[in-house]
Amino acid sequence: MDLELLRKTGAEVAARDDVKYLLGWKQGTYGYRVAPAFVENAAGAAELIFSPLCTANLATYLTLVEQLPVPRGEEPDTRKVALMVKGCDSRAVTQLLVEKGIERDEVVVIGCPCPGVVDPALLAEKYPETEEPAEMKWDGEDFLLIRNGEETKISRDELLAEKCRLCRYPNPVVSDEMLGEPVETWAPGEDKGVEEVEAKDVDSRLEYWMDQFDKCVRCYSCRNVCPLCYCQDCILDRLNPTWVNRSVNFSENTAFNIARAFHLAGRCIECGECERVCPANIPLGKINRKLARDVRDKYGFEPGVDPEAEPFQASYKPDDPEDFIL
Amino acid sequence: MSAMLLNKEKWPEFVGKLTGKNVWAPQSDGTEMRFAPVGENEKVVLDYNNTRVPPKGALFPQTETMFKFEIGSDKVEEPPLDQEVVVLGLRPCDARAMTIVDKLFKWDIDDPYFVKRQEKTTLVGLACNEPGLNCFCTSVGGGPAATEGLDVIMADLGENYFVEALTDKGKALLDETRDLLEDADDDAQKQKEKLSGEAEDKIKRSVETEGVPEGLPGLWDDPLWPRVSASCLGCGTCTYLCPTCHCFDIQDETEGIDARRCRMWDSCMFSEYTLHTSGHNPRPTRKERTRNRINHKYSYYVDKFDVIACVGCGRCTNLCPVNIDIIEILRQVKEAL
Repeated sequence: MDLELLRKTGAEVAARDDVKYLLGWKQGTYGYRVAPAFVENAAGAAELIFSPLCTANLATYLTLVEQLPVPRGEEPDTRKVALMVKGCDSRAVTQLLVEKGIERDEVVVIGCPCPGVVDPALLAEKYPETEEPAEMKWDGEDFLLIRNGEETKISRDELLAEKCRLCRYPNPVVSDEMLGEPVETWAPGEDKGVEEVEAKDVDSRLEYWMDQFDKCVRCYSCRNVCPLCYCQDCILDRLNPTWVNRSVNFSENTAFNIARAFHLAGRCIECGECERVCPANIPLGKINRKLARDVRDKYGFEPGVDPEAEPFQASYKPDDPEDFIL
Repeated sequence: MSAMLLNKEKWPEFVGKLTGKNVWAPQSDGTEMRFAPVGENEKVVLDYNNTRVPPKGALFPQTETMFKFEIGSDKVEEPPLDQEVVVLGLRPCDARAMTIVDKLFKWDIDDPYFVKRQEKTTLVGLACNEPGLNCFCTSVGGGPAATEGLDVIMADLGENYFVEALTDKGKALLDETRDLLEDADDDAQKQKEKLSGEAEDKIKRSVETEGVPEGLPGLWDDPLWPRVSASCLGCGTCTYLCPTCHCFDIQDETEGIDARRCRMWDSCMFSEYTLHTSGHNPRPTRKERTRNRINHKYSYYVDKFDVIACVGCGRCTNLCPVNIDIIEILRQVKEAL
């Protein structure tokens, strides 16, 4: 990715009168961290980056920002929000359009063809984080890590995030402007994580998930980071009636995680953010990918690909398969 | 009290001697370290940096059943809090955090749950030889071998653990395990001090707190707040993983006619935290919530209890999904003052 092009485009878009701010990525405060950037003017675009460390899916901010009542005598701010998207992020935007969570003319989408990002946990494990912010680049088929002035070439296979290994849409599926040439797609590997769990018998599968959900602290970072968890009134926050108790134990944690998984069936675009942010290290991606795979295999539906699609959970065809329904 | 040594080979036996009690210790679940009750087959791991979830749950569990009752009956049952607990291998910052929340839980009235648990709990700390990247305990009154809040301090000297009782409770615990311990000589003492000095030097990040508690309220409308909170997801990671965060909610939960009144951790970063029944929310956006989190730790708590409610463990910064960095926020606060 040409940084100059990225910043030039960012500056142009951020300076537009009809754009409130541009969402992009910037260097974080230490180590491998990359922080979301809210760029409000052309000058702010100078800090934008796009690198294998840019894991965050910024589409979540489209629906996360609170809509406060407009004070009497003032006009609502109807300017657009611009955002930079990788392939997976763009699927979130598309799915939001399908669900009418956002309208197309509310956003300016800048597409960043993405050769795949790193798994930040794996990176930190293999190459310990330093206090000084480090940089990373794509270097042909490999990653190039630059820390404390030293360059280390790392093979793609070593650090590529699981979601990227399985990715079929590295190029944004929706955009107003595309930065650079599309990248070549690759054959998604086997989803070993899901297959391993599928191969277990029912009892050991239950035991596996019991151990996982037992760790959940119910911080709801998975829900909040998810671009498609944007209900104004989440079922988990309801007290009257209380669908999920506040008590943190295996039973309630399971209710929470299953509720979230099912609400995302046919909607999850596999950006992997839930798994990345989970402070309890629960492999949430396995649940969502399993559901996504079932929806794809059984109904031939993929969310976040076609902005004209009918929402999966709101559509019915007489020949929908039902042989697996009890 | 006199310093002693515990040969590392005798560690399993040391843990075994405490089995009459409920022993909490850091264990690995394969991917992560966490504090959990030690069962028969679980292995206590002391070679760790710090757990993601702090051990504050030993005194302030995430979910506390206050009492059980039956709908339509006068029967009320309070779970006894008489189990003796030993927390092994907690870090000095986490022990110090317990002394900070202690002030709140014993403020106007004693909180019976916290106080009863505390009476029955012995805290055996482990000094840090290798502080983490975002550790800044030395900036907020702690240190890698600080003993505040601990009953016993241990330090990893290589072949042996240095072990020293700091309170009567700690002494009683070491008396029970006396046959496994040997007296420490001056060399061991010196080695321990050398290691803690070296650990202090390894701490790279720091915050400047001078003038912050008094100055923060004056920054109420400062543009720093929208800036540092814009990317906040509004999740509870920073607060739930904070060893000094102590907010809770109380709910009645029912299963048929069986009911229980529970209290559970709450987070000021959640929108419903300050939501009024009327629908009004005095902290309507993440800006107000972020501002409150910093003010509470670095100003209100200091005002009320004369101590900063942050021990510099770095968890909020390590685990924030969007790189909201408390050290950076405090730098910006200092700059704005």
